[in-house]
This record gives sequence, structure tokens and C-alpha cells, in this order.
Amino acid sequence: MNTQSAKAVQVESLTKVYPPSTRAVDGVTFSVDEGEIFGLLGPNGAGKTTIMRILATLASITKGRAMVAGHDVSKEPAAVRSIIGVVPQEVTLDNELKGTENLLLSAKLHHVPKDVALERARELLRLVELESAGEMRVSTYSGGMKRRLQLTTALIHKPKIVFLDEPTVGLDIQTRTRIWDYLQQLNRDGLTIFMTTHYLEEADLLSRRVAIVDHGRIIVSGSPAELKESLHGDILTIEFADGGSDFTSFLERMDGVSQVTRVGDSYRLKLPKLETALPSIISSITAKGLKIRETSFTKPTMDQVFLEVTGRSMRDAEEPRSNGHTPSAPVAKDVTSA
Amino acid sequence: MISESLALGQRAITKWLRNPFAVVAALLQAIFWLVLFGNSFNPANALSPSPLGGGSLGIFQQTFGGAVNYITFLTPGVIGIVSLTTMSFMGVDVVLDRISGYVDTLSTYPIPRSSIYFGAVLQNIAKAMAAITFVLALVVPNGLRLAGSFGFVDLLGVLLVFALLSAVFSGLFTGIAISVKSVDSFFAAVNFLTFPIMFTSTALFPISFFPSWMKPFAQASPVSLASNAARLLIVNGSLSSSQAASFAGEIAGLALYGVLFALLGILLARRALRPR
Repeated sequence: MNTQSAKAVQVESLTKVYPPSTRAVDGVTFSVDEGEIFGLLGPNGAGKTTIMRILATLASITKGRAMVAGHDVSKEPAAVRSIIGVVPQEVTLDNELKGTENLLLSAKLHHVPKDVALERARELLRLVELESAGEMRVSTYSGGMKRRLQLTTALIHKPKIVFLDEPTVGLDIQTRTRIWDYLQQLNRDGLTIFMTTHYLEEADLLSRRVAIVDHGRIIVSGSPAELKESLHGDILTIEFADGGSDFTSFLERMDGVSQVTRVGDSYRLKLPKLETALPSIISSITAKGLKIRETSFTKPTMDQVFLEVTGRSMRDAEEPRSNGHTPSAPVAKDVTSA
Repeated sequence: MISESLALGQRAITKWLRNPFAVVAALLQAIFWLVLFGNSFNPANALSPSPLGGGSLGIFQQTFGGAVNYITFLTPGVIGIVSLTTMSFMGVDVVLDRISGYVDTLSTYPIPRSSIYFGAVLQNIAKAMAAITFVLALVVPNGLRLAGSFGFVDLLGVLLVFALLSAVFSGLFTGIAISVKSVDSFFAAVNFLTFPIMFTSTALFPISFFPSWMKPFAQASPVSLASNAARLLIVNGSLSSSQAASFAGEIAGLALYGVLFALLGILLARRALRPR
């Protein structure tokens, strides 16, 4: 242990190159505080899973350093393994074993004494609402049940930090909400949670801090609230009845409007102070004799944060890329004042 | 490492016992071999009626290491082959565990990586021993002629021989299984290896049947060492001092193969499971 012991995870200039030249992770630096839920957000293929595999001692480091609870993952993998729990993206339970048997096997391999393990297994199965399914074979479980059981196998030994790779991918909304509840409850009990996700609302709802990853780099990090505030304002979308003309410069000249983006026939106005700007905007439009077909108003979302920092919406970013790495990716910025 | 290997081994045994098809298939395989091979290839068919008139049993016994019938000669060999094929095919469990990500999950646990290898080897030996004990129990009242002095210690000796042989093959095939990335590559390796090992051995025929260029290979084969050692006990019961010496030599040979393949397997496992 060293002076960084207060950090659950400390990653410095981490780079991972898969031969011959795929830069999966490209000089990433971030840290996770003890007791927080930290979300690594990004589209599929951004490098999130590789970062997690490195922290879980499954992948090697090409350059840089990664520490978990003060232990270097390359130099002290055994020390790291004894204090982490890992929930992979794919379910890796034994289908032929019963739920409890899977759980007790994990306990045994984590050197948890049997009586402690039995007690803890009961607690965890209760937490994820699987008490009555514990004696059933996992092959009879639904996808959501398997995911919940998988979570418990990573917690049976009371790890200091748990790594979750896309914990709710492919699950229905009810199951997702339940898993979010369990995670929040575990976090309240002091568990540090590191998770990757490509669900914006998941990162927004659960994480105390989020880092957005794209093309192997962290583009921005901070609390979800800070990230959304960094957009400097709410978004007013206006669609005019007269779709033919371009009103961009007209809208830009208005008081209280910091930015105008035309998307098809509608205009997205960024308003630092919506409450004071809205009345004058409406009166100017009416004075010009223009007819509004539709308006909508949105508080900033993580999707807009992603759009702002990557120039693409999350959905576009999920499209397959021709190259593993874009050299012109924006440089990381941290919106936290610390 | 031992407790982790045992825990992983126990997991595999539980799975196996819950899959009756796998258990029955493993047990029946040996019976098919004995019934089909023992009858169709029985060399005594060719010796009877004997051209020497009445002396065919003598010639047979001389050629077949003292066994009074082919089943008695064949049983240890078939058990050796069952050990080989069972251990090779069961290696696929490790390949499947790697593909499913189960091995990755185990690799994040605070356990020695070699316990993943030894867990697989141990449970394979246990399964092989179940099949082997079943074959022996079935074949003794159905044609196998044990020596009059064959006792409980000799039975333990036979079981030890085949436990060692199963350790040799499980060590080899688990090592291969842990280093390949697909079921196809694994079975390609299995097919490539099992037939030469099977037929370059004295499992089915005595060493005098082999052409001289094959004899050294057949003599050094672990299947031959195990078949010969088990035959000594089955045919003779209590061993003379020279028989005991060759029995000890065969056991030592099997143990040496076991250690070599275990070392190879650990190396392959470490290499395959290291972070990359």
C-alpha cells in the first residue's frame, strides 16, 4: 500500500495496443474514489471493456500504470484478485449447478469459510430476490435471474471494489431498475463500484462520477450534473411553419441565445438562462410574423454531453468503424474544478 | 492449490453425474470395445482347430502373456484405450469453459492458475476410474479369467495402473485443451494423437505381432506399459520377483510420463491464462 490507498482505482497514461496496431486504449488517466460508483460511458468498441479487463488482471498493459486499492495490477495481480469482484458482460455461471452451488463454489475459491459463506449466500440471494430459486439449476433461470445471480457470485467474499461490465445490457427495463436498486444499496453499504455502460441513463442515474470514452480515450469526466451543466444551458427546439427559409442568423442575434444549430427544419437553441430568455424569443418571433409549428424544451442529458464532446450522438457512434482509432479525437478535459 | 483444484474437480463431477447420458456413454464405450473387438478380432479363432492338434491353448498362452483367453488379454488393453479416449474427449470441457468465459472469471479469483488445470485433470481421473471399475465389475463374471491368487491388493494394483494412465492422458489432453481456442482445433489434435497412441501399443495385440520398426514405439507407449502391468497382475496374481521388477518398471514409466505431461500441462496453462 502507498499514499494512493484512498483511491480505489488509479490509472495513469494507460495504453493498450493489440497486435499489430489496434489501439484499444490510448493514454487514459482517471481515478476512482473509495465508496463511489464510477461509470465508464461510451459506445461499443470504445475501449471500456479493455480498461476493465486490465483492472481485473485479465489483460496486460502496453504502457502506463493501473493500481487497484494501491496494488499495481501488473506487479501484484494476486493481491488485486483477493479484493475485487468481477461481473463480466456475458453470464459465466455453471448452468448444470444450482444457484446456491454456484455461489458456494465462488465462496470456496475466494477462501470464505463455509459457515460464513452459507450466511452470506442467504443474504445475497435475498438482496437479489432469488431466495426461492437458490435450489434450482441455473439452466432453468431466465436471463435476468442469471445476471442477478452472477452479481452475487462477485460479492460473496465481500470485495472492496466490484467491476461490472455492462451490468444490464440486454435486460428488460424492470430487471434493469431492480439491478440499479441493488447496486445503489450495495454502494450505500460502502462498496466501491466501477462499471462500464453504454446506457446513458444508467451512467446518469447511478454514477457519482462518469468518464466518457471514445476511440480509447477519455474525452470528458466529472459528475453527471457537472457534465450536463458544462453544456451551459437548456435546449429549446423550435420548428417553424415556413420550413423553406434559413432562420439561423436571425435566431443567433437574439438576446439570451448562446448557440443555434439547425437540424433539418428545426432549430436547437442553447439558452444559458431559459426562464429570462424565453419571453423575448417568443415576442421577437411573433414580431417578425413567423409561425411556430412546434416547440420542445429539454434539460441537458448525457446524450447531449456525448454529442457535444464527440460530435456524434451515441447511436451514431455505435455504427461500425472502419478503423480502430481516429487520430483527430478530441483531447480529454476534466470539468471538475479539483 | 489443492483445495481449489478439488473444489473445481467437484464441480465437474457434479455436472457429470447430473448428465446421465454422459455417464452411460462413458461406461458403455468400454463394453462395446470388449464385445465387438473381443469377438471379431479374437486371434484364438484363427488358432482353432489348431494345426498342432490340441496344443492351441499352449501356443495362445505363450503368445498372449499367459492369458487363457483373448478377453483376459484384451481387457487391460481395452481399459487402457478407454482411458485414452475418455480422457481425450473429456478435455473438451476445458475448451468450452474457456469459450464461455468461465475460465476468465476463474482467472479473476485469488487462486493459482494451475488449479484450473489440476481441477480438470483430477475430475477426469475420477470419471475414468468410475468407468474402469464398472468395466472390471462387468467383465469378471463374463469371460475374464483372473489368476487363482488374484486378491484385493492386486485389484488395487490394477486400479493404480489405470489411475496413473488416466493421469498421463488427462495431463496431456487438458494441457492441449487449455491452449487451443476452439472445439475444432481441439478435436483435430485429439484425432491426430489418439489413433497412433492406440494402435502403436500392446493394448490389442502382443508385442510379437508388431514389425520390428514399430516395436520400440509400442514398447514405450504408456498404453502398453499400463496394459502389460495390469496383465501381469490379472494373469499371475502374486508376482515372482522378476515379474514384480517389470511391474515396478512399468509403474515407474507411467509415473514419469505423468510428471512430464503434468509439467507440460502447467506450462501450457500458465501460458494460455496469462494476461495478454
